[in-house]
Amino acid sequence: MIEQLHLLILGIVLFGVGLYALLGKRNIIKILMGIEIMTIAINLVFISLGANSTNEMFTQFAQIFPLISIAIGAAVLAVGLAIAINNYRHAHSLDTDEMATLKR
Amino acid sequence: MSLVIIYIFMILAILAAIFALECRRLMFSIIGLIAMNLFLWVLLLTLNATFLAWVQLIIYGGGFTALFVVVVALTEKQRDESFDWKRSVIALGIVAALMGVAIWAVTASGLSVTIGTSTIGDSLRALWNERLTDLILQAVVFFATTVGVGSLFIHHKKKQKKEAKA
Repeated sequence: MIEQLHLLILGIVLFGVGLYALLGKRNIIKILMGIEIMTIAINLVFISLGANSTNEMFTQFAQIFPLISIAIGAAVLAVGLAIAINNYRHAHSLDTDEMATLKR
Repeated sequence: MSLVIIYIFMILAILAAIFALECRRLMFSIIGLIAMNLFLWVLLLTLNATFLAWVQLIIYGGGFTALFVVVVALTEKQRDESFDWKRSVIALGIVAALMGVAIWAVTASGLSVTIGTSTIGDSLRALWNERLTDLILQAVVFFATTVGVGSLFIHHKKKQKKEAKA
């Protein structure tokens, strides 16, 4: 059996990696990848917390919440990538600093 | 499965995530993302979350990856040249501080329970009983898809108008 603590630390580290992309990268595709990694980390934390919880309601929703999260993640990614393509057509760049030109 | 192998998979998942974000070539980044999803798939299987493991592999490892590949191919920017040292160092500092606090909080909470008893049956029953959950889910997916596709058409129409004016 894996220690719950180690899985939680894995979740935190993955979340940190995703957050680094969100804060430190300028390429919009890398930022979207970071958001995806953060979503996966949250799902992992939910699964690891719910796997041996004594609270029945929480155990039931431990696998349901990640499913909802995956669907919403898909929607976020679809919108994000649509914006990326629009920005590329407009400014010929994937740089987030260039995205202000989308307003014009 | 031996515990050592599972811990190796955990470390490999982190390394694959870092590779995905730090690799200059975007196609290799996507391959890193696929690798991370595969390693996490194994981890979820060991936690008895079989259904979620397969859903994650199909949607994240398959669908999202296909979307990324299409966008990278469409934008014709195969390399990420926008590396900013100052921004990266500041981001790394913030992330390190947040991660330190989070790991300290988790270890101080005294969680040391062994796990591996989650069942899919309970979750599926909850999903079936709570019909509202998947209705909301469908609404969100439809809304987001409409916004995404709509934004592409709006841009296309604007372009056509500009061309007609010219």
